[in-house]
Amino acid sequence: MTGSSASSRKVLSKIATNRLQKELVEWQVNPPSGFLHKVTDNLQRWVIEVYGAQGTIYAGEKYQLQVDFPEHYPMEAPQVIFLHPAPLHPHIYSNGHICLDILYDSWSPAMTVSSICISILSMLSSSTVKERPEDNDRYVKNCRNGRSPKETRWWFHDDKV
Amino acid sequence: MQNNQEDEIQTTSHQPHDHDVNDNDWSNYKDSDVMQQHSAILEQDAAKFPFVGDKEPLSSLANEYKSGSPILLEKIEVLSKEYAGIRRTRGDGNCFFRSFMFSYLEHIIESQDKAEVERIKTSVEKCRKTLQSLGYADFTFEDFFSLFIEQLESVLQGNEDSISHDELIVRSRDQSVSDYGYYAVVMFFRFVTSGEIKKRSEFFEPFILGLSNTTVEQFCKTSVEPMGEESDHVHITALSDALGVPIRVVYLDRSSCDNGSVSVNHHDFVPVSDDTPNDKTSGSGSETNPFIVLLYRPGHYDILYKK
Repeated sequence: MTGSSASSRKVLSKIATNRLQKELVEWQVNPPSGFLHKVTDNLQRWVIEVYGAQGTIYAGEKYQLQVDFPEHYPMEAPQVIFLHPAPLHPHIYSNGHICLDILYDSWSPAMTVSSICISILSMLSSSTVKERPEDNDRYVKNCRNGRSPKETRWWFHDDKV
Repeated sequence: MQNNQEDEIQTTSHQPHDHDVNDNDWSNYKDSDVMQQHSAILEQDAAKFPFVGDKEPLSSLANEYKSGSPILLEKIEVLSKEYAGIRRTRGDGNCFFRSFMFSYLEHIIESQDKAEVERIKTSVEKCRKTLQSLGYADFTFEDFFSLFIEQLESVLQGNEDSISHDELIVRSRDQSVSDYGYYAVVMFFRFVTSGEIKKRSEFFEPFILGLSNTTVEQFCKTSVEPMGEESDHVHITALSDALGVPIRVVYLDRSSCDNGSVSVNHHDFVPVSDDTPNDKTSGSGSETNPFIVLLYRPGHYDILYKK
């Protein structure tokens, strides 16, 4: 296992394509506030700009999320990471991996790209300190071979932040 | 000791939560190895325990406890007066929903009860409206709803797509997520259950608080909607009510009566319908005779067959 998320490289299934086209339309009609998705012809990888909410320690800052969809989306979770530079946050590693349960164990097909974005913004907004997770260096070193965060056995931090 | 093994595997799948970052150095703790091993265990599990097993005589249940607790053996003896067989399901956290699905479809395939199919379709439409009114986007649930309707129509004979009982078993064992097969229908039941809980959140709230000390919204998000999350009486009540299908759950545990006699407890989940606005009186209802009977052992549901 060299671990570069082989499953997400496979072509989207018909159901996944169909579902993502609908999500895209919904996004265009009703985009979550604080996010900008530059629509490309690549349905399998979305790059979304995130704007730090007013009144939070990330106000005025802009980050980029990269969302990769697996062949069997939405039965399988998408892979969501921050592109460099990732926001300084106790649950976000410097390589952009995010420790958030809904991206892994608690993923459900009931969720959407839009609802993921809202959860991530809420996670950012509730943080009071700009710092990396305690185990950042160890974790990032361990990911150097290009491992996907979906191959990590996450131990979830408290949900207050 | 088949079932103990299932329990063990369930524990394994919950390990990520127990993983203590402070005690384990990443450098000598390769997640990829652990996860590979984990998926290997799941594969072995899959080979040994299909999603739904073959129908077995109740004596196979007794064999499991041969050298174990005498009270369980006595209880199985009591059960055997009323029940003839058991069909085991895989302990992957979806066993309640999968047992319900199989049991329901099997009932329809055997009874060919067209009126029941029409009735449940009306309930399914109500569930669809519930989800819409709760703000779920149609595209999140519509594929799963279509899958269930297709399933229903396929077990009624005389259609082009009708399937046999054998085919029902084959399809129920299909592991692939690829074609949105029976595996994914579990999601239909999860949507329906979640919708019902949220719609009647004031009714379910105290039970949910007792179980998990979270809000109704949070409970649905973390304990109902994700695949592999185990079911409790809250899920069963909600599913039974939403689809209007009574469910009997027979409890097999080590508890005994004070007077020393051995009896096996069961609970009937009797749906409250919109037409009968009375308070819920499950369990005490006299004439309900649920055609879905599940055997509950702590952490797991299997299907029981009446004599």
